[in-house]
Amino acid sequence: MKRFSLLARRLAACVVAATVLVALDGAAQSVMAQNPFGGPRPAPGSEIGGLVGWILSKQSEFYREISAALRTAKSDGSAVWSLLAVSFAYGIFHAAGPGHGKAVISSYLVANQETARRGIALSFASALMQSLVAIAVVAVIAWLLNATAKTMCGAEKAIEIGSYALIAAFGASLVWTKGGCFMRALQATRPEPVLAVAADHGHGHAHDHDHGDGHVHDDHCGHSHGPAPDELAGPGGWRRGLAAVLSVGIRPCSGAILVLVFALAQGLFWAGIAATLVMGLGTAITVAVIAIVAVSARDLAQRFSEAREGSGVLIMRGIEFGAAGLVLLFGSGLLLGYITAERVTCL
Amino acid sequence: MKTALRFLWVFLPAVLLGAAAAEAHPHVWITSTSELIYAPDGTLTGVRHAWTFDEMFAAYALQGLETKTKGTYTREELAPLAQTNVESLKEYAYFTFAKADGRKEKFNEPVDYFLDYRDNQLTLHFTLPLKAPFKAKALVLEVFDPTFFIDFKLAEKDPVRMVAAPEGCQMKIQRPSDGSASAQQLNEQTFMDGGANSNFGMMFANKIIVDCP
Repeated sequence: MKRFSLLARRLAACVVAATVLVALDGAAQSVMAQNPFGGPRPAPGSEIGGLVGWILSKQSEFYREISAALRTAKSDGSAVWSLLAVSFAYGIFHAAGPGHGKAVISSYLVANQETARRGIALSFASALMQSLVAIAVVAVIAWLLNATAKTMCGAEKAIEIGSYALIAAFGASLVWTKGGCFMRALQATRPEPVLAVAADHGHGHAHDHDHGDGHVHDDHCGHSHGPAPDELAGPGGWRRGLAAVLSVGIRPCSGAILVLVFALAQGLFWAGIAATLVMGLGTAITVAVIAIVAVSARDLAQRFSEAREGSGVLIMRGIEFGAAGLVLLFGSGLLLGYITAERVTCL
Repeated sequence: MKTALRFLWVFLPAVLLGAAAAEAHPHVWITSTSELIYAPDGTLTGVRHAWTFDEMFAAYALQGLETKTKGTYTREELAPLAQTNVESLKEYAYFTFAKADGRKEKFNEPVDYFLDYRDNQLTLHFTLPLKAPFKAKALVLEVFDPTFFIDFKLAEKDPVRMVAAPEGCQMKIQRPSDGSASAQQLNEQTFMDGGANSNFGMMFANKIIVDCP
């Protein structure tokens, strides 16, 4: 009973943490189907006051300070330092918004039984890639080719669609593996005579071996006891996360592109590049925090499910399957326009 | 224990969905001034907007444009860009939403549009003709981006002018930053929609209200 109350307290703490998280993102304006000439429709943010309003206003504030700092830096070199500071702050706040792969990375971490440390690494890798893509887009299209905004916006749109397709494909592959794990767990826990379970052994995955207590081990499903340290360090350990980094990181953020083009127009492209990289650093920190929360929630769920005989594994496989499904859902939702991410800068 | 587990079940997806929800954060700032254009018989025929972009977006929009003199842009040089702008705005219903006595009104495609660049400021001018010009006792005009990618702000001074409006028409303006707006909005919306579908969330809208006798 004592143990239970401890867990309950932890759960409560987790609830609070997640509530804050949901509140952060909570303006939750997944603007569903667009109605072209629809008059007043539910607008973003159910509350402009409070936390959301504060984040929004801070974000706008920092963003506008970036342009001011860039303009000053033209004549006063020391303004570059304040440019970097503001860019960093902006990155931290900005990543609370859509389009920075929080959802995909968090879901992937949950689905794939990854550790928090890997979550942090993935967050930084994808944020760095986002920055580099933004720099590459502006460097090639605006600086080298001196093309117009129309061309740049076309490129942004193409990259966007590619990125959504990648997320959907990544989600589909996760669903495929995790779905298999879930089905096997479902079979393993089905209340059947012991003999039948033993017979079942031969049909499943070659690595399946039922311990009789419902703990299923195999390569793709991971271990319900948690992954062994050597498994993560093993060959292919980093390659596993590559798909997540690629699908998230390929889409540059509109804010970075705007800053880069503005810097270019001021003749300070290098300062724009520095600002973008620092912004990416700030973004990575926010995404990493969210990833840690997701992994902790998952670990908590695991601790609960381990206490349960039999169905515990099923629950964990179910959660993993659900997280995999979410990635697929995000990807296809973004692709089909049901979920709006950050818009590209086309006007 | 069971309830605790059920909690997690509801919860983990909630965290992830929450993390996925696309919430608002502007990248473009527009300072807007508008004119309400009335016909001699007192019908409202259209709205004329002048939208000034923030300098960062202006730099983006002007990127790669060929000009005779560096740093200056004539109306002719900006014409293709203005064309692109009004074409893309169509998808967003020109961010302009009109209601006449509670009924939604639609706009035709913009006319008389052009961009000008003065004092490092890029301004888009365009007129939105109403599909069906109307006389209304209560006109509500809102200018906002529902996705909040663009932050519309009414100009500090004379943001809205009524051109040749009938006698006795009174104009009120509500800005999103105005603290009283939310309470007022709720009342009015609740009144207008009969309590259902109240658009309490519409906090970023700039609201122009014209009451005529």
